[in-house]
Amino acid sequence: MLRTLLFQNQDKKQLVIAIIGAFLGITFLVTSIHYLIRVNEFGKGAEILGPNTIIVQKRVNNSAVLGLSKTDFTLAEIEKIKAEPFIQDVKPVISNNFDVSFETNDPLVPRFRSDVFIQTVDPDFIDVKSDNWTWKEGDTLVPIIMPRDFLVMLNTFMSASGIPQVSDDVAKDINFRFTISNDNGKEWIDAKIIGFTNEVASILVPEKFMEYGNQKYALKTDQKITQIMISGKESEFGLVEELIETRGLESKNSQMVVGRLKSIVGTLILVILGVSVIAVLVAGLVLIQYLQLLMTRNDYEVRTLLRIGYHPTIIIKQFFLYFMKIFGIVASLGLGMFFLFKLFLDKLLEEGGLMIDTSISLYAIGALILAYTIFALTSYRTAKNGIYKEY
Amino acid sequence: MTLENDRMNITLNNIMPTPLASIQHSDKSIWGNFISLEPGEKIMLNASSGKGKSTFTLTTVGMRKDYTGTITYDGQDIQQFSPDDWTKIRQEKISVVFQDLQLFPKLTVKENLLLKNALTDTYSEMELIQFLEELEIDNKWNQLGGLLSMGQQQRVAIIRALCQPFNWLIMDEPFSHLDVVNTQKCLNLIDKRATELGAGFVLTSLGDDHNFKYSRELNL
Repeated sequence: MLRTLLFQNQDKKQLVIAIIGAFLGITFLVTSIHYLIRVNEFGKGAEILGPNTIIVQKRVNNSAVLGLSKTDFTLAEIEKIKAEPFIQDVKPVISNNFDVSFETNDPLVPRFRSDVFIQTVDPDFIDVKSDNWTWKEGDTLVPIIMPRDFLVMLNTFMSASGIPQVSDDVAKDINFRFTISNDNGKEWIDAKIIGFTNEVASILVPEKFMEYGNQKYALKTDQKITQIMISGKESEFGLVEELIETRGLESKNSQMVVGRLKSIVGTLILVILGVSVIAVLVAGLVLIQYLQLLMTRNDYEVRTLLRIGYHPTIIIKQFFLYFMKIFGIVASLGLGMFFLFKLFLDKLLEEGGLMIDTSISLYAIGALILAYTIFALTSYRTAKNGIYKEY
Repeated sequence: MTLENDRMNITLNNIMPTPLASIQHSDKSIWGNFISLEPGEKIMLNASSGKGKSTFTLTTVGMRKDYTGTITYDGQDIQQFSPDDWTKIRQEKISVVFQDLQLFPKLTVKENLLLKNALTDTYSEMELIQFLEELEIDNKWNQLGGLLSMGQQQRVAIIRALCQPFNWLIMDEPFSHLDVVNTQKCLNLIDKRATELGAGFVLTSLGDDHNFKYSRELNL
């Protein structure tokens, strides 16, 4: 009866317009947050290097061949790159300045031995648990990250030897051994693969192991930094690319593609997110204004109810629950539409080669809950202020 | 607020409503004097138009605050009451028949009465219909309030005011659209209910005493 009394003076047309606005805003908000999260996550975990990280070296041109220009980085050059606002971090890729050979050391695998080139990078750039990526003097086992090409080469070798090929997991169980040396000495240390990478052509070892080898078995030539790792800020990869171009640097193309793709899609989604937030705010405002209008239209009814003995909270509850129900419907419709959009967009991105995680982002659901909570609090406050002013 | 006494006393101490401050009031007027409304008193407040009968009603029941002086219920200044206090007072202590009746025109007579009765569950639907029968409007039970004549609306408003326990019933010209017969029926109903409850009432009037023996008469 109370509901009949309080909601008989409605302008349904205005309510429908407000609901449509809120529905569209919520749909775009949830959709854009979901895809912003998923696109930013894209690439993480699939590679040892972070998705915004690339390894660059100076482009080798004719003058470098003739020895007129250098292909190594000075510390000043590294600091200058690091100072750019869109750069998160820059670290040198340290190479071995001692002789290294690498061999299988497992009775189940045929002997395979080769001189190799090893490198190390700052652990912050490596997407593996830091506990696994450590070595200290005295340790008998070196954890290593292998270029995936090495596994291909190993499998070719195994196949030619009439032995079954190995998967990533099996390769991680094989025992290997490094021989590190110079003209004055030699040492053997066991090694185990803990991960693979497509982005680096050399075997990656922990920093401490490299320091140990470079100190104990250093050759007489000077150590040079010929490669650096650059980590760009989220969605600013275009600027990183520009820097690489202007400074005459180069990187593996595959590394650039992911960063570029993420940057473009991320920027687009950010724009949509901004528009969605504005749409939700405007729609929320329209709904709150509708609540105020409804209360003004029911001024007489509210005042009379209070005068005949109704407690303000009973009346506030009526308005509050009514608007909670409306926003609940809006949120449900928005969520439903998001699922429909998701079916379509996931397929579209998959066809475009962007294989993002298709599970629902909790942030998107969190945003929906947050929007609902803000609206609930605002409508409660509006109803309370409107009704208590009668006293 | 602690208004636990079943026989609530109301005092008006030197009350002067702001809109009436510029008017000269007589020595007998309640405006600017001390008046005590004792429990169970049946009072007629007699005044001509424009002297503040509706102002008295709304001020005394805390719905207007544009006055100087102090109004108390059992010695407690009503300006200090919270919304919770007023809710309790309006449900259990003071009932009002407004001059403009304040029915809900888009609700039926039944809904108007049940909406009030639901707060204290004072009467059954059957008893409410019996009240309407006594006042000869039981055939209006399902009719919208807004479609009733003023006289019929006045009778519904009086029954609505009776749908709660009260210590005081304040009525602002409640019979202005009723004939003598219906006025007597309404007054008998009101008197019977007030006596049952040991409650008092104040009835504002333009001068007509409706052939009722009041405890006393006040003037504005």
